[in-house]
Amino acid sequence: MEQLISIEFPRLSLVLPELVVLLTGFVLFSLDLIYKRINHALAISVSLVGYLLALLLLVFNWGMEGETFYGLYKRDSFSSLMQVFMLLLTMSLLGFNYLYYKSKKSLYGEFYYVLSFALIGGMFLVSSYNLIVLYVALEAVSIAFYILTALLRSDFNSKEGAFKYLILGGLSIALASYGAGFMYLYSGSLDLRYILTHVGENQYFLVLGLVLFLIGFAIKIGAVPFHFWLPDAYQGAPTPITAYMASFGKLAFFAPVVRLMPLVQEHFAYAWITTVAIISALTMLYGNLTALVQKDVKRLLAYSSIAHSGYILAGISVAEVIGLKAVIYFLLAYSLMGFGSFMVLALLERVQGWENKLEQFSGMRFSAPWLAFSFMVMLLALLGIPPTVGFVGKALVFMSLSFERLWWLALVMIIATGISTGYYLRITALMFMKEQVNSLNLSVSQVEKFLILLFSLALVLLGAVPIILWNSVSPSAENLFMR
Amino acid sequence: MEGFPLISVSMILPLLGVFVILFTKEELSKWIAVFFSGLVFGISLVSLFFFDFSRAGKVQFEEKYVLIPELNLSLHLGFDGLSYLMYILTTLVSLVAILWSTRDHQISHRLKEYYIWFLLTETFLVGVFASLDLMVFYVFYELTLVPMFFVIGIWGYKLRLYSAYKFFIYIFVSSLFLLLGIVSLAVQHYRQFGKFSFNYFDLINNQYDFTFEVFMFLLFLIAFAVKTPIVPFHTWLPDAHGEAPTAGSVVLAAVLLKMGTYALLRFNIGLFPIASVYLMPIMVLWGILTIVFASWFTISQSNVKRFVAYSSVSHMGFVVAGMFLLNAEGLRASITEMFAHGLTSSALFMMAGFIYNRLHSFNMQALRGSIKFMPLFAVLVAITGFSSMGLPGGSSFWGKFLTIVGAREYTLLLAFLVVVGAFFSAVYVLYLLKTLYLDTKEESRLIHFTDLRGFKLSAFLLVVIPMLMVGFLPFLFFAFYDPYINSLLNYLVSRVMGG
Repeated sequence: MEQLISIEFPRLSLVLPELVVLLTGFVLFSLDLIYKRINHALAISVSLVGYLLALLLLVFNWGMEGETFYGLYKRDSFSSLMQVFMLLLTMSLLGFNYLYYKSKKSLYGEFYYVLSFALIGGMFLVSSYNLIVLYVALEAVSIAFYILTALLRSDFNSKEGAFKYLILGGLSIALASYGAGFMYLYSGSLDLRYILTHVGENQYFLVLGLVLFLIGFAIKIGAVPFHFWLPDAYQGAPTPITAYMASFGKLAFFAPVVRLMPLVQEHFAYAWITTVAIISALTMLYGNLTALVQKDVKRLLAYSSIAHSGYILAGISVAEVIGLKAVIYFLLAYSLMGFGSFMVLALLERVQGWENKLEQFSGMRFSAPWLAFSFMVMLLALLGIPPTVGFVGKALVFMSLSFERLWWLALVMIIATGISTGYYLRITALMFMKEQVNSLNLSVSQVEKFLILLFSLALVLLGAVPIILWNSVSPSAENLFMR
Repeated sequence: MEGFPLISVSMILPLLGVFVILFTKEELSKWIAVFFSGLVFGISLVSLFFFDFSRAGKVQFEEKYVLIPELNLSLHLGFDGLSYLMYILTTLVSLVAILWSTRDHQISHRLKEYYIWFLLTETFLVGVFASLDLMVFYVFYELTLVPMFFVIGIWGYKLRLYSAYKFFIYIFVSSLFLLLGIVSLAVQHYRQFGKFSFNYFDLINNQYDFTFEVFMFLLFLIAFAVKTPIVPFHTWLPDAHGEAPTAGSVVLAAVLLKMGTYALLRFNIGLFPIASVYLMPIMVLWGILTIVFASWFTISQSNVKRFVAYSSVSHMGFVVAGMFLLNAEGLRASITEMFAHGLTSSALFMMAGFIYNRLHSFNMQALRGSIKFMPLFAVLVAITGFSSMGLPGGSSFWGKFLTIVGAREYTLLLAFLVVVGAFFSAVYVLYLLKTLYLDTKEESRLIHFTDLRGFKLSAFLLVVIPMLMVGFLPFLFFAFYDPYINSLLNYLVSRVMGG
């Protein structure tokens, strides 16, 4: 007779990167406890060493696959790819945070370990099929984000944003877990792979559960009509954290939805396609239309982030391999574009009297040419001008829409992109074609300058030589489909 | 020259120029730009000796660098007769535009950027005409927008910002339909052959059912109709061409419009033969309507740059009408007209820019008789004007004449309609020439005008001499594309009869 529970020693080698990050988090935590005033150079170097070690572990064990903890944890090429990007983004964030918080007079030691807890949550979120693990990881990322958003303690907007985020985030997690409950009721399992392929009675439990679960995630990724918290939270948060939420947050919160895509079964594929496509169309149109009328660039980029969620959702509506590839590519592409563009604002916010107003970008080409140029590259990438990553992502999404014959959604996407031309071009034109109104006293460190230029270069290079990303995106998508 | 990567060299040299400009003094940038574009033009002339004209229907100077093997996406470059002619036009016009800019008063600030954008445009344009991979074609097609957006927006005249936006948004949004079309073709290829492909030579094997083919034809047409432009979609053009600096207008009119017509011929007719044959009457009539309407718009302009811009639209009408006649004469007319219009429109825009430098006005009334004391300039403008009008011996004559011959092969009525179009397009040229030469004006202001000389003269001669060559020695140019036309027609017949 088969044993009900077989005792298995967990294959710790699979979760080694996570363990390293966790350890880093605790070291940072104790550093904060020990020192009355934390030494930031020390904290940054400890985090960097930890993350770099995790990154190296991932890169050298590339292709490592397997499950452990009784199937609670799954490592495959998708999760490795996502984790590599998450680590890279977190490490780049550490290049920006110190001077920003210093200029805002909000240097706290919490930042470092909360950040690594967000990271660990994200790393688990991308590598599990289990509802409980997803729930815990989601909570870990979210709580870390609430704290990070509120970290400008003296700023009213920061607290308001965090509060809105907290309430809506709580709602989203409640809905997701409620949905998880229904799915368990339907199948008697917590494993998504089992739930969705299981054929049982009471199909509507499955549908109800799936819908609630997805709404929970839709709130997190800011899909219309569940987006209301997003612009406020993005605007209120310290700008480096906004960048982090827009890039890292998207990777983390989209990952479980991406994992669902290959599991979509014949009998509810139609419902999936229609629902996701409608939400996607609404998100694209709403995000771009509202971004068009914004006067505040940070808010504008927040709405553009919503719009990009829409483009990614358009890919998700196509539950085929090509759609999956498009989604993963676009996710990675957006994480770079979003991070870079918000980071430019983070640098500018240190200038005296800077309020993120559109007019303030006038003539930036004369006062900070390299920054204007990089920002232009990022905006054009967000718009989808070839040969940037944004273009490759959009082309792949179009390709998957054409594959599924979703012509109407493709048309909506064309219209939405057309609308977005207005605001991306406006900033570009302001920077390059208008006279300078006020001089910028920009003081940036060499590291920041290097990172911004690196990001803009990466946007162009990874798009012009698409094979670099494609070689890791394509196998991981196929891998997900094979299960 | 066997094995010499002509195309990538022509694309990399301007980029090299960009890097040199980045790291040198601002005053030197114009000479570096002249040097590098001149070098590319020289290379293109030398390459004429190595192009096998008897095999002009086939792809030559082929290069292939794989980008994504799984999707059959590759940087596949090569010239057949058609694209080779367009390549020569590109290198010629880029040199002309840069030569002209060195002595243009409008270009007095931010020189480095200016020449960087022009050199980049040259690279992208060569890429557009050389790509045999549709996705790569699209990349270059879109990329040409960015430099032109900045050129119009920074160095343009009064309404420059508005025009730059309008130019970018019109073409960007319309070309998204093209993107959708291109990826749909790749998907269609996947459905039939089990693998994705963006390569032109793979995609021509696609079979479609009729509705889908027409749908695809329309997706491509939206993009190219805006780019070409055909009449209801032309409204971006007068603004963009009217407000751009002279060299910008030259490149826009001479080469960027040809991207639209070139792509119509290569992709719309090449990829969707059945839909093309089906929609042929509509397209031909649409072309003729474009000629007539655009001619009327032209005559009513008071700004000489907008005047020239609208005349471009009417010329594009001839190109579209001739192309969709789908017979040897029509296609020959269309391609000749593409080349000829590239020359005449650049010369006319340079004329407008030259007079603006003297008079500081684009107003037709202010222009009256302004050419009197500049004999050399007057002669060159006269040659250009009569060429553009289609006088025998002028470059546009073959375009118009052969279109009429081609139309006559169908019905007399159609040929008559083309003649009506040709009539109206002659009217506006005569009106322009009358204003410039015959109208009177107090002569005290004019007497100080210096004639065309130096760099501007050489730029003018660089387009006027080929203009005369097209007019008097057309067979030199027919040699480029006659084999191409033959193979295209054979292919059309086999597809339409076979399907």
